[in-house]
Formats: sequence, C-alpha cells, structure tokens
Amino acid sequence: MTGARLLYAGAETTAVTVYESDLPGVGKKHEIELGDGSRLVIVTHNDGRREVFRRETADADSEKLFELPDGLARQVGTILEGAYFQPVRSGDVETLLGGDTLLEWVEIDAGSPLAGRTLGDADLRAETGASVVAIERGDGVIPTPGGETTVEPGDTLVVVGSRADCEAFASRATGE
Amino acid sequence: MAAGLLELGQAFLVCAVAGAVALRIGLSVIPLYVVGGMLAGPFVAGRAGLPAVSDGELLTVLAEVGIVLLLFFLGLEFSLDRLLSARSKVTRAGVIDVVVNLPLGIVIGLALGWSAVEALLLGGIVYISSSAIITKTLIDLGWIADAEADPILGTLVFEDLFIAVYLAVVTSLVTGGGDVAALGGSLAVAFAFLGALLVAVQYGTGAFTRLLDVSDTESFVLRTLGVVVPVAGVALSLGVSEAVAAFFVGMGFATSGHRERIERLLTPVRDAFAAVFFLWIGVGTDPRLLAGVALPLAAAVVFTTPAKLLSGYLGGRVYDLSARRSVRVGLGLVPRGEFSLVIAALAAGGSTTVMRETIPALAVGYVLVMSVLGTVLMQRSAAVERVFVRFGPARR
Repeated sequence: MTGARLLYAGAETTAVTVYESDLPGVGKKHEIELGDGSRLVIVTHNDGRREVFRRETADADSEKLFELPDGLARQVGTILEGAYFQPVRSGDVETLLGGDTLLEWVEIDAGSPLAGRTLGDADLRAETGASVVAIERGDGVIPTPGGETTVEPGDTLVVVGSRADCEAFASRATGE
Repeated sequence: MAAGLLELGQAFLVCAVAGAVALRIGLSVIPLYVVGGMLAGPFVAGRAGLPAVSDGELLTVLAEVGIVLLLFFLGLEFSLDRLLSARSKVTRAGVIDVVVNLPLGIVIGLALGWSAVEALLLGGIVYISSSAIITKTLIDLGWIADAEADPILGTLVFEDLFIAVYLAVVTSLVTGGGDVAALGGSLAVAFAFLGALLVAVQYGTGAFTRLLDVSDTESFVLRTLGVVVPVAGVALSLGVSEAVAAFFVGMGFATSGHRERIERLLTPVRDAFAAVFFLWIGVGTDPRLLAGVALPLAAAVVFTTPAKLLSGYLGGRVYDLSARRSVRVGLGLVPRGEFSLVIAALAAGGSTTVMRETIPALAVGYVLVMSVLGTVLMQRSAAVERVFVRFGPARR
C-alpha cells in the first residue's frame, strides 16, 4: 500500500535507503535504492516466499530476477550479510595480514612531499618503520621497488608495517 | 448416505478438473469452477441423463462455509490502522470507485424496470472487484512489484470495508421484504448483533490470543473454525449477514498475533470450501436462464467496463502515477468474482422473481465475462496502454 516508510538510511559512504510498504492480502514489499537510479524490489509473501525484482528506472516495469522459498531466502540472506566470509579489503584502506601487520594503500598526489623523490632519498623505512612493497602506477604495478625508484604523482604505494608504522607513513606521504 | 458421498465426491472431482484446466490455460479458477458446476449440475448433465450434482442441502451448507471463510479471511487481512494510515489516498481512490460504479449499476437496474432493492443488488454486483482474481493476477504478472499495486490493493481494501456495510444493510432489505416495519426490525437486529460482535472483537483480543495459543496445528485449526462458523451460524439464524459476522470475527483474529499462522494453516481449508461455493453457484445456474439475461448482461458489461477503467485511472492519478500506470490500475480493477457471487447468493433468497432468478443468472454471466475479460486485459495491458496513452485524455 501507500505510505512507504523510510526504514534505514546508512551513515556510511554509500547511503542505503529502504522503503517498506504493505501489500494487503499478499505480504510486504521492500525497495532498496541501488545508487544508479535503479531499485531492488523484494516482495515477501505471507507464505514466506520471496520474489526479487529489479527496476531499471522509476517508471520502468520491474523485472523479476529470481524467487526463493522462505528457508532458502534466509540462507542466502546470511551469506549476503557476510556470516560465512567477510571480505576485508573493501576498496581503499588496509588489509590485515595477521597479528598487527597491515597492508596499506597510500595515494600520492602532486602536493605530496614524496612526489618526485626516490625511495632511497626519502628513506621512509628508517623514519616510519613501514616499507614500500609495490607501487601501483597507471594500469601497471612495480613490484619490490628499489631505493633508486622515483615516486610520481598519481602513484599508489603499497606499504607493509604495523598499524602505527603505516599511519606514520601515510601522514609523511600527505605531508601532514 | 452413499448417494450423498458420491455426489460430494463428484463435486470435488469436478473442482479438481476445472482447476487443472484453469492452470493449463492461464485463467483464474473462479470462472472455471462456475462453468464446471453448470456442466455437472442438473441443467446440463442432469438433462443429458448423466449423474448430476444437485444443489441439495449438503452442497449448500458446504458452499455457505466457503462464503464464511472467504469473508473471514477478508477481515483477517483488513486492518483499520492500515486504512487510516494511508487514509487520504485510499479514501479518495475508494470514493471515486464507489461513486462511479455503484450508482451506475443501480441506474442499469432501474432502467430494466427493477425495484430499488433489486437495482441496489445489481449496483453491488457490478461495483465490487474480485480481490482473489486481482491479487493472483498481480502476482502472476509481476505488477505486485510496481507502483500500480498500491492503488489497486488500496482500492480493494476500501471496497472490502464498503461491502461489509453494504451486505449488512442489503441482507436486511432482502430478508425484510417490502414491509417497512419488518424491515426496521430486521435492520435493528442486524445492527444490534453486529455492533455487539464488533465490541466483543474490539475488546476480545486477549481472549482470542489465549484461545489460539496452542502449538498443536489440529487444535489450532479447529479452534479457529469453532469460533467463526458458529458465530456466522448464529448471525444467519437471526437474519443477519453471516458474511459480515465472519468478516468481523476475522478482524478480531487479525489483532490476536496469530494472523500469519491462521493464514498459513487455513488457506487450503478456505480454498477447498470456496471452490465448492463457486461450483454450487454454477450448479444452481440454468444456462437457458443465461440466454434469457443476455441483453441486460451485455448492457452491464458494455457500461461497467469503461466505468471501472475510468475510476481506476482516476484512482491511479490520485496516487500520482503516470497516465500509463493509471491505465493499468483501471485494467487491474476490472475482474469481478467472489463477492459479486456472494451478493447473487444473497439475492437468490429474496421474494421476487427478479431476485430469485434474474439477478443470480445475470451475476453468474457477468462474473464469467468480467473475470475472463479482466484477466485478459491485464495480460495484454501493453497494447491497451499504447492506445490509451496516444489517444487518451491526459498525456504526460
């Protein structure tokens, strides 16, 4: 029915808006904005069956993607939720290697004090304790760069070290 | 005994076959149960000398249980809060629906030279859309996920509330006959009984909850039936609409916290008895009477189909839908079914020939046409939308 209610608006980088509405005699409908103008529409029937649709644009007809019985839907839901496997490197920051050791990705912009200097010249390992294990440049990667390798603006340095070392490295790289 | 069992067996067999045919050709089961009943009944199978299902007391009582359970479920799904929470839109769309369609049916009835009560019965038959057929088709076509589902289901909710009041009044009008004093008396009894029931339902939530707090499914089903069927029976013996009584009991059970379990466990029970009800309607219909009502039937179809399209379209606009989607709302409200037949069954208990013969035959013909026409229109909506959006009144 009408009166779609805003259930949850996430505070993280990607805000999630979920609309809930009643379908008298049928069940409930939840619509989730996917961020590209399309919506995921989940119809939960009173008998527990879930129908999942995708609506391309606001005025398009929803296209049914799949249908799951109650038990299976819950199982799939827990997998989506990450109950069995949590991917940790979610884009930009860091990956735990175990213990206190991190892999961190540090971007170098034109204003960075490191831009244009060689790794040996900057000697960041002595200063911060973290070492550069690779440089992502354009589409390529420079593995195990040596002291003579020059850091260029636009590079992403892949750094390994303790959390404190990595934080010190990141602040040196941004010049703060 | 053996004859009764055999006849009942035949009735269920015919329902099962009709249901299989409906699945095969992608139509609603309701018109096929009715046609199956007509073919298996005394007027077709009986005349051909074959064993026929008769609308004797056995089938009539089972059909009556079907009516009671249909309305019980309507009450179960009906929530006043839900109606009030979306009040303005539901009410506006619902009022447009009733203001356009009910008077149109009354006018057609009066134009046929019928009395006011007879015309009012026709008004109800052409007004009320079929929740069962429409909801199922919405799911089958995937419209349930789209914006048109809101005004369609909202309008159905409004119709449900309206039909409860309507049935309460019309039952008294039909059973009270023409005598004003008797009519006043039966209306008073009806409203006293239904008022008391409503109060009991309103304040009895705790009792309903405790009553149904049982893990054994068998006891659960029997306790539910053990409340709704006797209450409906008392209502009918007082000359009050058993359907409305069942609707109110459903409303009471809805707030007990057991609604979903009732739906899960009793839906098959309801569907089996509802199938018998539709079959029973067909069994009591002489196809020759259908031929006799061909003209009023044609008039009803020709006038009420565009009227429902118009009221549905306007209802869609109330929900701020585009012209194309509003056309779908209109198409989605065309199917008529179970409630038109409930009104016909009520009319059949009346005193005049029009009530006892013409209206039931007309209602059966009308439901057969509108259930099939409505479903087909929904399935072929793309073509209708194109035509309408190109030539329709409101471009967007």
